[in-house]
Amino acid sequence: MDAFLSGQLLFSALVIGSVYALIGLGLNLVYGTMRLLNIAHGDLMMLGAYTSFWLLSLVGLSPILSLLIAALGASAIGAAAYFGLFRRQIEISGPVEKLEANSLLLFFGLSVVVQNLAALAFTASPRAVPYLDQVFRVGEISMTANRLLTLGVALALCAATVIFLRANIYGLAIKALIQNRDAAKIVGVKVERVQLLSFMLGFGLAGLAGVLLSMTEQISPFMGFPFTIAAFVVIITGGLGNLTGGIIAGFLLGFIEIYGVVLTSQNARSIILYGVFVAILLLRPQGLLGGRRVVR
Amino acid sequence: MFKKLLTTAMAAAFTVAGQANAAEDPVKIGFSISKTGIFAQGAASQMTVYELWRDQIKARGGLDVGGKKRPIKLVWYDDESNPSKVAPIYEKLITDDKVDLLLAPWGTPMHLSVAPVAEKYKFPIVGNTAASVALRQVSPGYIWFPTSMFPDSIASEMAKMLKQQGIKSAAVIANVLPFAQENQKFLIPALEKAGIAVKINEKYPPNISDMTPLLTKVKQANVDAVIVLSYPADSFLYMKQSKEIGISAGFQFLLVGPSIPVFRKAFGDFANGIVTMGHWSPLQKKWWPRAKEFTEAYSKKFNMPPDYLDSALAYMSLEILEQAVAKAGLDKEKLRQVIATDTFETINGPVKFTGVENKLLPTGFLQIQKGDLQIVWPEGMATSKFMKR
Repeated sequence: MDAFLSGQLLFSALVIGSVYALIGLGLNLVYGTMRLLNIAHGDLMMLGAYTSFWLLSLVGLSPILSLLIAALGASAIGAAAYFGLFRRQIEISGPVEKLEANSLLLFFGLSVVVQNLAALAFTASPRAVPYLDQVFRVGEISMTANRLLTLGVALALCAATVIFLRANIYGLAIKALIQNRDAAKIVGVKVERVQLLSFMLGFGLAGLAGVLLSMTEQISPFMGFPFTIAAFVVIITGGLGNLTGGIIAGFLLGFIEIYGVVLTSQNARSIILYGVFVAILLLRPQGLLGGRRVVR
Repeated sequence: MFKKLLTTAMAAAFTVAGQANAAEDPVKIGFSISKTGIFAQGAASQMTVYELWRDQIKARGGLDVGGKKRPIKLVWYDDESNPSKVAPIYEKLITDDKVDLLLAPWGTPMHLSVAPVAEKYKFPIVGNTAASVALRQVSPGYIWFPTSMFPDSIASEMAKMLKQQGIKSAAVIANVLPFAQENQKFLIPALEKAGIAVKINEKYPPNISDMTPLLTKVKQANVDAVIVLSYPADSFLYMKQSKEIGISAGFQFLLVGPSIPVFRKAFGDFANGIVTMGHWSPLQKKWWPRAKEFTEAYSKKFNMPPDYLDSALAYMSLEILEQAVAKAGLDKEKLRQVIATDTFETINGPVKFTGVENKLLPTGFLQIQKGDLQIVWPEGMATSKFMKR
C-alpha cells in the first residue's frame, strides 16, 4: 500500500496520460472534422521517432530541434495524403458510414505500406536514442529529464490546441466543422481549407509525439500499432470527435493503467485497461463527454 | 545459318558447364533463420557468424572434406520467427535443395521443431542458440547442444554465487515468455533452499512499456539482489527505469540482453556491474588463440564486437562441424558417429557430447566491468572477481 501513495507513480501516470492525451488529440482532429478513421496514426509517430533517431545519430541534432522538423515533415505528409488520397474520397463517399469504412481501408493500406517501407529502409532492428537521461530528484520523486520533457511538451501542446480551437478563427472553423458540417458550410466556413488544416495539425501532432517517445521507447518500424490502438481507446472513451473529452480520457487511462497495476499485478494491465474501456462503453456508449454534439 | 549458330552456342554452353564441374561443386550448407519477425533482432548475431565463417572458409581455400578442400555455398530461407515453418524448411533443404550439411536455426523453439526432422532423415545437426531443460528430452542421436545454459543449473549456480556474496534477500521479476518462466520455476526454490528470502516474486507481460509500478515495489522491498528474468526489450526498459527510480542493490541480474554489444553502447558507465548469463568471453586467455582470432575477425568484419552468448555458441557449432567433416567427410552416418564421440577444440575450450549435452562446459555468469564482459562465475574459468554495483 505504501507503493500506492508514492509520488513516483503519480509522475509515471501523468507522463503516460499526457502521451495518451496527445496521440488521442491528433487522431480526434482528423476524425472529428472529416470522419476519417486514421489507422496509420501510430505509423506517423514511428516516422517522427525515426526522424529524431537519424538526426541525432547522423548529424547530432538534439531531439528538441527534431520536434519542429518532425512536426513540419508529418504535416507535409498530412497535406500530401489529403490532396492525394482523401479530398476526393470525402467528396464521393456520400453517407458518413461509407466514408468511415473507406477511410479505414485506405489508412490501413497506408499503414502497411509505411511500416514495410520503414522496415526496408531502416531494417527491423530496434534502436534507441539515449538523450536527456539524467535524473532529477524532487523530494522522494525522481524524474528522468526526457520523461519530464515529454510531460511538459505534451501538456503544452494539449493546452495550445484547446486554446487554438477556442480563440483562433481557424480553430473555431474546425470546431464548427466538427459540430455540424453542413451548417458550417452555410455560414461560410471554407471547408476545403479547414480540412487541410486539420489533416496537417493531426499528422503534425503524431510526428511530435513520435519524437517525444523516441527518447523513452525503443524505436522500430512496428512500434506504432500499439499506440494507434491506445489512441482509438482514448478517443472512443472520451467521445469520438470531442477533443476535451479525449484529453481527459487520455489522463484517466494513464492513471488506471499505473494504479491498476500497483493494486493487482503487472500481468493484469490489459485486463484492467480494456475492462474499464468496455465498462465505460456499456454505461455511456457515446463516451464520457460525447453526445452533446449534433451528428450530421 | 541458324543451325550453325545454335550448334556453336550449345557447344559453348557445354564447355562452360564442363569447366564448372571440373572446378569442383561447392558443398551446399543449408539452414533457416529468423530474418524477419520478433526473433530477428536476436538471430542477427547468429547470421553474422555464419557469414563470417563462410568468408573464413573461402580465405582458407575451402572446407576440408575428409582431407580434400572444397568450396562452400550457403542456402538459407527466412522462417519469419515462426517455429512451425522451421521443420518444412529443413525438409525442403534435405529433399529438394539436397544440401550436404545443415546448420542450426536460432532459438529454443526452432531447435525443438528441427530435432524430429534430423532424426527422420538421419541428418546430423549441431545445435547452438538453444537453452531449456526441454532439450534434454530430445532423443539423442542426430542433434547436439553445446550450451551449458540449462535453467535448473542456472538456478543452482546463482544460489551458490549469491550465498557466497553474503546476499540475504532478493526480488525476482520475470517475463512470461517460456525461457524466463522456466528460470523462475527453478530459481525460486533454489534461492529459498540457500536461505535467501525472496521478498518479491512477480511476472510481467512481454509487451510491457512501463515498469514503474513493479520497480517501485522492488525499491521499497530494499533487497540485496534484484534478479530480472528478461528478454532484450525489457532489459533495456529495466535499465532506463531503474536509473530513474534509483534501484541500488549491489547485485542486479538481467537474463538476456547485456551480452548484445548495443546494450553496453547504449548505457555506457551505467551498465557497469550488471550481471547476465554466459559462459564465454574473449578475455579468458586459456581459450586463446582461437577466441582472440574469432573476436578480432568478427569485430573487423562487422565493426562491433560479437554477442558473447549467441555469436560464440554459433561459432562453436561451426568449429565442431568443420572438425567433424574434416575427419568423416560428408557421409551422414560417419559424421554422426564422429560428432557423438569425439572431443572438439572450440573458442570456448574443448567440447564433448554426452547424449545431447556438452558436459565439459560449466554454467557461468558474466558481469559488465569497465565496459567489457568478464566471466565472474564459476571460479575455475573466471576472468575477474564479482564487483558490487
